Amino acid sequence: MNIGVQTKNIIDDKDPAAGFALMTEAGFTCADFSLNAYLVNNSIYKGELNSFFDKTAVQLEDFFAPHKKAAKDAGIVIHQMHMPYPVYVPGQSQEVNAYLWDVVAAKSMQICAFFHCRYIVIHGLKLAYYLGSEEREWEQTARFLEYLAPMAKDMGITLCVENLYNSVGGHLVEGPCCNAKKAVERIDSFNEKYGAEVLGFCFDTGHANLVGLDFEDFLTTLGGRLKVLHIHDNDGRADQHQIPFTFSRSRENKTSTDWAGFLRGLKKINFDSALSFETAPALSTFPEALKEDALRLISRVGAYFMEELKRQP
Amino acid sequence: MRLICSPAGIVNREYPGQGLLDIKEAGFEELLCDAALFFDEQPEKRYTHYDRVFAKCRENGLTFPVMALRCPAQEADRERDEGFFKEFVEEGLEVCEKTGCRSLLAPLFFEEVSKDRRQEEAAEFYLKLAAATEKSGVQILLRNQCRDLNGHLVRGFCCDGQEAAGWVDTLNERAGRECFGFCMDAGTCTLCGQNMYDFALTLGSRLKAVILRDCDGAADNALLPFVCVDKGQTKTDWLNLIRGLREIGYDGMLILHFPDSARGFSPLLRPRLMELAKAVADYLKWQIELETMLKRYPSRVLFGAGNMCRNYMKCYGEKYPPLFTCDNNAALWGKEFCGLKVREPECLKELPADCAVLICNIYYREIEKQLREMGIAAPIVFFNDEYMPDFYFDRLEERV
Repeated sequence: MNIGVQTKNIIDDKDPAAGFALMTEAGFTCADFSLNAYLVNNSIYKGELNSFFDKTAVQLEDFFAPHKKAAKDAGIVIHQMHMPYPVYVPGQSQEVNAYLWDVVAAKSMQICAFFHCRYIVIHGLKLAYYLGSEEREWEQTARFLEYLAPMAKDMGITLCVENLYNSVGGHLVEGPCCNAKKAVERIDSFNEKYGAEVLGFCFDTGHANLVGLDFEDFLTTLGGRLKVLHIHDNDGRADQHQIPFTFSRSRENKTSTDWAGFLRGLKKINFDSALSFETAPALSTFPEALKEDALRLISRVGAYFMEELKRQP
Repeated sequence: MRLICSPAGIVNREYPGQGLLDIKEAGFEELLCDAALFFDEQPEKRYTHYDRVFAKCRENGLTFPVMALRCPAQEADRERDEGFFKEFVEEGLEVCEKTGCRSLLAPLFFEEVSKDRRQEEAAEFYLKLAAATEKSGVQILLRNQCRDLNGHLVRGFCCDGQEAAGWVDTLNERAGRECFGFCMDAGTCTLCGQNMYDFALTLGSRLKAVILRDCDGAADNALLPFVCVDKGQTKTDWLNLIRGLREIGYDGMLILHFPDSARGFSPLLRPRLMELAKAVADYLKWQIELETMLKRYPSRVLFGAGNMCRNYMKCYGEKYPPLFTCDNNAALWGKEFCGLKVREPECLKELPADCAVLICNIYYREIEKQLREMGIAAPIVFFNDEYMPDFYFDRLEERV
């Protein structure tokens, strides 16, 4: 079992070797490559696309070659990658939306393959408000997945859908992929159709906590379809992406996130893939001087989870 | 659909007269029989308050269609005991019989026990309850409930729609009759960030009651709907609640429960608050029944050729086609909009008496006045597109 962390706020494109070395020193053995940092969501929502993905496949490989070498030298496996999101913006021009599918998504797959990365996390489309139901929303996400699935099969990549949230007056409520039973049916149907594991699930602990999901039930329902984790913590109100065990909401000061249920769920399904932390904001909230210590703490939490999972019941 | 007012925060059991009068004056006719509010904690004084409240309700012509069982916090782990059953459940059933309540809201009080134990013990508790209500025929309503995770309220018993539907079906099957239904607490759904459209659809006809309350999604408060807002947007997902209830053709009980808002207002303002509460309940009922309203008229025309007309045509145009639309803007007369001919308002004078004029413009009252002054004989009704089954990705630019 590996312990990983996202590369955002650690890897500097000018000197990726330093960042990957830092990850190794802190105790990590794998990485969640933050491809989404190269075209950020706030810009996409505004329709302000930069030119990063205009590069040819060869240019992109040249750009990321130092990262690939640095990771290898540091002994870090690129276990998973995050595709830029959203992949569709309602109300945006046809040109922008077509670019997100045809260029950004397609090239993300190529980059993922270049890193020999097995999993790429994608965000389902957030359209339930307009289309009226999660089922109709999923139909559009499925269209996107159908577009990517043949590429995924050829490249040996598993696309992972992630549980997301929506905002209602600033209150965060369930968004795409928050129903484990539906996720199971959909994943099985895709994989049967393509005769390969083209689709899997990324369980995001922070998003699950925001909408009060039952971690243990959710993970147990997913079973082996769970391929990737986004481990992070929050206060149940905002998507803060902080280190587990950070938040408490009672005078007893016990954790208000169900980490015990998380571990029970992982244990029940014999999860043995990467314990990957999506905690980049924690690295920017701590002072630069404490960044290494913060990384070590994250890694130590991962080691604790691993020890708990290995412990006999 | 029945509108029921919860007395919590409004009625004082020692002096119930004024609160009940405020409820009655606001136009409510039915009241939730809330055992936690009306019964005394001391066994020897148990019925003192209840008798007083019930007598006052009679005076005001208020009736109790549904009762909520009580369970003092310190007694929660006793729910499985014979003693608890005798003390709190049988008392509830007795009151149901006396007051004519046909439904009994019976949440699971021992939510915190482990899931495996809960399955077994909850089934045992509910089946015992079913046996006790067999003679009276009172329907038992399960409810979606939060679980307290060190101060963070997360999904607990029956928060999963499929699980809830499964409980109702299994219990009915085991009881051998349709004696179980479900009560959906909109506040719990909000606290757990749930999609109420999916929840309502999954429960379908099992849904017999809906508790309407607002909250900020973090604290377990019960506020008047539409008061919990941020930057002009409500924090409760009323859109998906209305979408869901409208789609299943919901016709059960709507229980308005807002003790925290009621207590926050001075008793001097309470009558006005109650008027607003009744208007809010009427509005939500109207929204849920919007399609029922459309069905009522054999033919219809629209008034307005803008976004609301466009939304009508998108969602209901095929099922309930209008003859035409009209608009005060003379520049549009004779043109087509969303497949409808736009005509001048004068044309409305020629409509048959049973053809409804649906006002599709937010200046409802002004347009209604105009039409009344024109002497339009056809029924004039409001349409509204705030809670449509679906929406366009864009809005038309406002015409200047």
